[in-house]
This record gives sequence, C-alpha cells and structure tokens, in this order.
Amino acid sequence: MKAATVSTYRGGMWSWLFQRITAVLLIVCLAIHLIFTHILSIGELDYINIGDRLAHAGLTAVDIILLAAGIYHALNGLRMVLMDYWFTSRKRALTLTIGLWVVGLAFMGYGTWALWPWIS
Amino acid sequence: MSGKPRETANVGAGLWKATGMWAWLLFRISGLVLVFYLGAHIIIISTGQFGADGEALNGFMKTFDHPVAVLLDLALVVAVLYHALNGVRIILMDFGVGVQRHKIIFWSAMAVVVICFAIFAWVALTYIVTGEGVTS
Repeated sequence: MKAATVSTYRGGMWSWLFQRITAVLLIVCLAIHLIFTHILSIGELDYINIGDRLAHAGLTAVDIILLAAGIYHALNGLRMVLMDYWFTSRKRALTLTIGLWVVGLAFMGYGTWALWPWIS
Repeated sequence: MSGKPRETANVGAGLWKATGMWAWLLFRISGLVLVFYLGAHIIIISTGQFGADGEALNGFMKTFDHPVAVLLDLALVVAVLYHALNGVRIILMDFGVGVQRHKIIFWSAMAVVVICFAIFAWVALTYIVTGEGVTS
C-alpha cells in the first residue's frame, strides 16, 4: 500500500543510483582525506604541505574523486531537498537540475584548474 | 494493517516514526551544512593558485590553526561522521538489510560516530593544548 501524501517522483533512477555510488566513493576517499589533513598534518597545513602530498599520484587521484563525487553528491542532495519545497513540479525540477549542473560544472572547472599543476 | 507490516511500509515511504524522523532531519541538516562547507572549501583551497607559492592560501591556513577554528573543524567532523554513518544505514536499508531492525542499526552507527569522533577530538584537543599534532 502506497501512502497518498508521498510524491511518486523521487528524482529519477539514475540520480538515485549515482547518489549511492558517490556516497561509497566519498566514504572511502574522505576517510583518507581526513586522516591525512586532520590527524597526520594538523597545524601543518599550508601550500607546501598540501603540494607535497599532491606530488603522489594516488593522492591527486583521491582529490579528483573527492572533487567530482563531492560536487555531484552535494548538489544532487541539495536538489532532493529543494524538490520537497518549491521545485515540486517536473518543470520547476528540470529548471533546478539545469541550474545546479551549471553551478556544479563551474565548481568542477575551478577545482580542476587549482589542481592542474599536479594533474599535468 | 497490523503493527509490524505498517512500520515496515512506512520505512519505505520515508515516513519513519520517532528515531527515524530525527535521523532523517539530522541527515538533511548535516547534508545542507556540508553542501555549503564544500563550496567554501573548494573556493578557499583553490586560492593556492593565487599569489607566489600559495601566499593567499597560507594566510587562510594560519587562521584555521586558531583554537576556535580547530573546534569548528571538530563540529564539521561530527556533521561528516553522522552523515556518513547514517548514509551507510540508508544504503543497507536499500538492500533490504535491517529494515525490521533499523533502530538497533541506527544506534550501532551512532556508536561508530562516537568512536571516530573521539579519535579526531583527541588529536584536535592535543593540538589546541600543546600546539603539536599527536604524530609530530
């Protein structure tokens, strides 16, 4: 039996699936990220310290995964919250989705630019 | 519908009662906090590309070594740990694990939050008191 008060449109299957995939990636990569920054390098974080870590390809990869998965997970999560309030119709939800993709890609571009010296 | 099946049905619809409702509300609040933190984090860390040898970034990093900033960081760790562990519980429920026992799973997840937080708090408080990390 389905409760009548709950909308049947819940954001789409793919966004649901990607939210779970990025969640798992974030748990693993964020654990690595927090152990390095908040436990091993507490009080020592600066440009040199961060740069030394990014010199290891594996940790650059972790940062790129964090950037992409973090932005997707954060903005899709925000989308799910906002769709419960004002962006309730399909049309409004679509506008919201497009707007958030623009914001997300801008952040992705900015973050990639910042990491570029270690990526290239 | 009798008690048990109805409770199970409501879990699927997101209309959990008591523990589940608070778990959902805190999940949403911590999520929103983390969205805004992530935006600020990307903007601030990326300033490493401004000025010679990360001058702009080093200025920010000095500020974040202040005890008040370290305590705020610790609050952020709570948001991350809660969101992560409650998220694990939600993924388990997606796979149908623990739907009947969601309360015990929730409190087990919270126990993991407390244990992980204790480690971060120990490191942060050691840093505030001695000015050094536990590994340095």
